[in-house]
This record gives sequence, C-alpha cells and structure tokens, in this order.
Amino acid sequence: MKILAIETTGKYGSASVIDETGRVFSADSREEMNHLKGMITLIDEAIRSAGITKDELTHVAASVGPGSFTGIRIGVTTARVMAQMLGIPCIGVSTLKAMAEGILDEAISKDALYVVPVINARRHQTYAAVYEAEFTSDHEKQSAVNIMEEKQYMIEDLLEELRTKLAETDGAKAFFTGDGIDAYGDIIRSAMPEGSYLFADEEIRYQHSEPVARVALRMAEGGKTLGYDELMPEYMRLAEAEQRLKAGTLSDRIKRASV
Amino acid sequence: MKNGHFLTLGIETSCDETAASVVADGRFVMSNVISSQIDIHTAYGGVVPEIASRKHLERVNDVIGKALDDAGVSAKDIDLIGVTYGPGLVGALLIGVAAAKAMAYACDIPLVGVNHMHGHIAANYLEHHELEPPFMALIVSGGHTEIVNVPEYNKCEKLGGTRDDAAGEAFDKVARVIGLGYPGGPKIDRAAKEGDKDSIAFKRVYLEHGSLDFSFSGLKTQALNYLNQQRQAGREINVNDVAASFQEAVVEVIADKAVMAAEKYGQKRIVMAGGVASNSRLRALMEEKAGAKGIDVLKPSPVLCTDNGAMIASAAYYAFRAGEKPDLELDAIPGLEF
Repeated sequence: MKILAIETTGKYGSASVIDETGRVFSADSREEMNHLKGMITLIDEAIRSAGITKDELTHVAASVGPGSFTGIRIGVTTARVMAQMLGIPCIGVSTLKAMAEGILDEAISKDALYVVPVINARRHQTYAAVYEAEFTSDHEKQSAVNIMEEKQYMIEDLLEELRTKLAETDGAKAFFTGDGIDAYGDIIRSAMPEGSYLFADEEIRYQHSEPVARVALRMAEGGKTLGYDELMPEYMRLAEAEQRLKAGTLSDRIKRASV
Repeated sequence: MKNGHFLTLGIETSCDETAASVVADGRFVMSNVISSQIDIHTAYGGVVPEIASRKHLERVNDVIGKALDDAGVSAKDIDLIGVTYGPGLVGALLIGVAAAKAMAYACDIPLVGVNHMHGHIAANYLEHHELEPPFMALIVSGGHTEIVNVPEYNKCEKLGGTRDDAAGEAFDKVARVIGLGYPGGPKIDRAAKEGDKDSIAFKRVYLEHGSLDFSFSGLKTQALNYLNQQRQAGREINVNDVAASFQEAVVEVIADKAVMAAEKYGQKRIVMAGGVASNSRLRALMEEKAGAKGIDVLKPSPVLCTDNGAMIASAAYYAFRAGEKPDLELDAIPGLEF
C-alpha cells in the first residue's frame, strides 16, 4: 500500500506518502495560501522522497475540510482527478480528526485528556470538535476518538461545553490546536479555568498531511475507500446565497451584487 | 497522438460552465462537452461565485471523462492540455486549473495556461479553418466589450474597451428590470424580434471623436428612468419595444466602432467572439455595416460563442506551437489582461 495524502485546508500546504508499514515521507511549504501554485511540486517531492513513482500509488487521500473553502477545493479536486487518471480509489479524511491525530502524542505527554482542534471561521465562529486518546488493545498505538461532534460552534458555546466536560473529571486538561488559537486565544484564556488548558506550539498548530496520511492508512485498512467521484468536500456550511434563499431573505441587493 | 493528429484537451471553468473538449491539430473539434449551471444560478438572479465553484468541483471529472469518451480517445492519446487561468471568477478558475494540473502530472502531459479572451478569439479557428491572423477582433460578452487587433496567434493589442458596464452586463440589468429575467442577453434578443427598435429614442454613446471605447452605464440609467416615468404616468410598458430599442442602442455603437477600428488599421476582416457575439441583431448589423465598407465579418456558431473547452484547446495549441513552456506551477489570475 502506498497512499498519497494531500492537505490544503489551512494556510500551509503539504503532501505525504505513507506505506503499509506506517513510514511517512512528507513535503511541505511555508508559503501562505500557495496551494494552487505549489501543490503538484509538493506531491512530486513527497512521491520522490518515498522512492516510488506515481504509478505505484494505491490510493489518493485528501483532507476534505472543514477549513478554507478555496483550500478544500484545491486539495479535493487534485485528489479526485489524480485518482481518476491513475485509476485508483480515494480516501476522504476529516481535517479536524487529522489535526487531533497530529498532536495526540504531544497532548498525552503533557497529560491532557482532551484534544480540541479549532479552526477559525470568523465572527466568533469556529469549526471544531473534541477528541480523546484511545489506546488499541496492544496498548502501543493510540488514536483520536471523537467525543464532541465535529461542527460549527460559536467559540463561546464550544468553551462552555468543554468546561462542563472538564468538570466531570478532576484535574482534566484540554489541549487546543489550530488557527482558532490565533484568532480566539484571548477568549479561550478568559473563559477557561487556570491550568485547565494548553495551546499547541506554532510548529505543530496548523494542518499537515502527515496525520492525514496516518488516518488514511487506517481507513484504507478498514476498507473505507471511495470512488474519485464520491470524494466530496466537507464545507460544514452552505454558501451564503443558499442560506439566504432557504431563509427567504435573498434580497435584490444581493442578487445584483452577485451578478 | 492518434492517427497522426496532435490532440489537445481544453478545460474551461472561468464562470458558470464546466467545459472540456478534445481538438485535433488546433482546428477540428472531436468533442465539446459543456455542463451549464444556468438552471442553478437562475434561482439567485445571477451567477453566485461560491455555488459556481462548488458545482465545478462536482462536475469537472465527468466533463473531462466525457470529452475523452466522445472523442473516442483515452488520456494517453492527449498531447497537450490547455486550461483557462484567467480572467474569471477566482474560485471557479481554480477548479479547472487544479484539475488540469492533476491530470497533466498524473498522465505526463504538458500543460499550458490559456487567457480566456484569447480562447474566445480562437473559437473562430475552429469554425473557419482557413482563418489566420492578422485580423480585427470584436469581443462582446457578459464581462467584456473589447476591440482587439490580432497581428498573430495569441497576440492581442487592445484598442478599446468599456469604461463601465460590459454590453452583456447592461443586457442583464435591463432584462431584469423589464421582467425578462436571467440570462438577459438571449432573452432581450428574443423579445426584441417582436418589438420596434425605433419606438424609444435611447441615446448612442460614442464618447470622444475617434475613441474606440464604450460606455453603457448612462444608457442603462436612461432605460431605467424611462421605465420609472412610464410607470409613474400609469402608462403600460411594451417590453418588446423596450428590448428592441435598448438593444439597438447598444449594438449600433458596437458595430460602428468595430468597423471604424478595422478601417483605421487596414484590416479586411472582423472576427466576432464572446457570448453576445451570438446576438442576432449584432450579427446582422455587423454584416450590414462592415459589408458596406468591403470588410468581411467572421463569427463562430452560437455553441462556440459561449464559454467552451474547444476554444481553449485551440488557443493552447497555438501557444504551445509558438514555444510557450509547460507549467505545473500555473496559478489562477482572475484579473488577467489581454
């Protein structure tokens, strides 16, 4: 098994190749929002560093969102067309789940019970979820298990629910990650009890394809693959015009502006 | 390559059509698949960029697949991929560009980016197989009203353009106000056939003497004022007459200026391009006015006037032949100039 994993939902793009033994080869960019321009170069670098050719790939995985709509579309389109042309299946990985996986070791080493990926969706909105580390039966590998639904939360609502959860377990801590820290750090600091939370360092805070590849490998082993045309973005939000049309508030002004 | 022919796949997603086509030797259309989103955007009264991007993503694989199937070829037969990288809606453009790059990389096919406007001009190479530059081009669409001198393939010297609304934009706005709805161009064209073009005296805006630029916003305002006055006076509005008179005021100026440009630059041919180039009155008036000066008018059939992949394939073919370097770092440029 040789899975290509693509991550373009945040500000930095990356690509990884993982093999059946779990070895990962990655290429990443520190240029912000350079996904469209840079993605093929990153993919090619990851494939070369794995010592294979693109024809040896067995699956193409993409981080499908939530996140930047534009970024999601670049990654998903790239994955869909590569899979179509190479004649191989796709794997759709939740961006929040991959973010949680990515900092799981760090969270465990810091004694945090919960991992909380938070993506900034502006105006106090977030895409977020809460995960807990779960050890497999052999007590060697752990994976992130979802305990608070992946969805859109107002940052204040997310923190309130999280405080309730933390209060159930004495001394439990939450480990935050994602660009939600950059946007809502002050709100988190003032809402959470002292010592009940930690922030991921900037080096590990943003989306990366390595954990996408790890989640994808488990999904491939579990047979959770898709045809290229079944791989869909997880925007977690309707387009604004669709919301207005449904609510019956699509004004003439909006109609004009959108022409 | 198939049977000795150089095959180009063209991909176009700059606005609300997801399109792909296979063209042989830059001239012969082997397939031309256009998946229009008009039915979706009609509910919103115009193209909603976010929804356009979402639909392009869902459709682009199948559109490319069908273009290959219809042409009876497979991806490995394709020698070149061309994709629109601007101008257009950025979210829409990037789906085509991402898809084209992924295919080019996966199948080891060279990729060149195509300027959408060069594509519209190239639509004529598909229709008129003997046509070669130099010629004068008139590009009229929802976003453009431009007169362009074309000295050689994919070389464009813009001589004039609109200073405010594009012709198609003006059509859309007036069509909406008189209740014809979206898309305005074809609906005004149809209504105008039943109306009297001389019934309302809308002004012809020629700007400074000798100018090849256009301005349609004043005309649009005049039309809106006329409608308000009629409504306030309780007079019934004849939609067909408004459509015919308004259309005439737009297309007469366009035709006059296109002919003036061809004369000024000594071109014996005017090539029409863009969605509004399929307007029947503009086509007739161009024949009439250019014909009187001994200038030929060439135009693509309506299916090649709308956004399509074939015109992008043709433009890509000539760019590649002229030595344009394949580029897997191609970016989308929404405000791309000629």
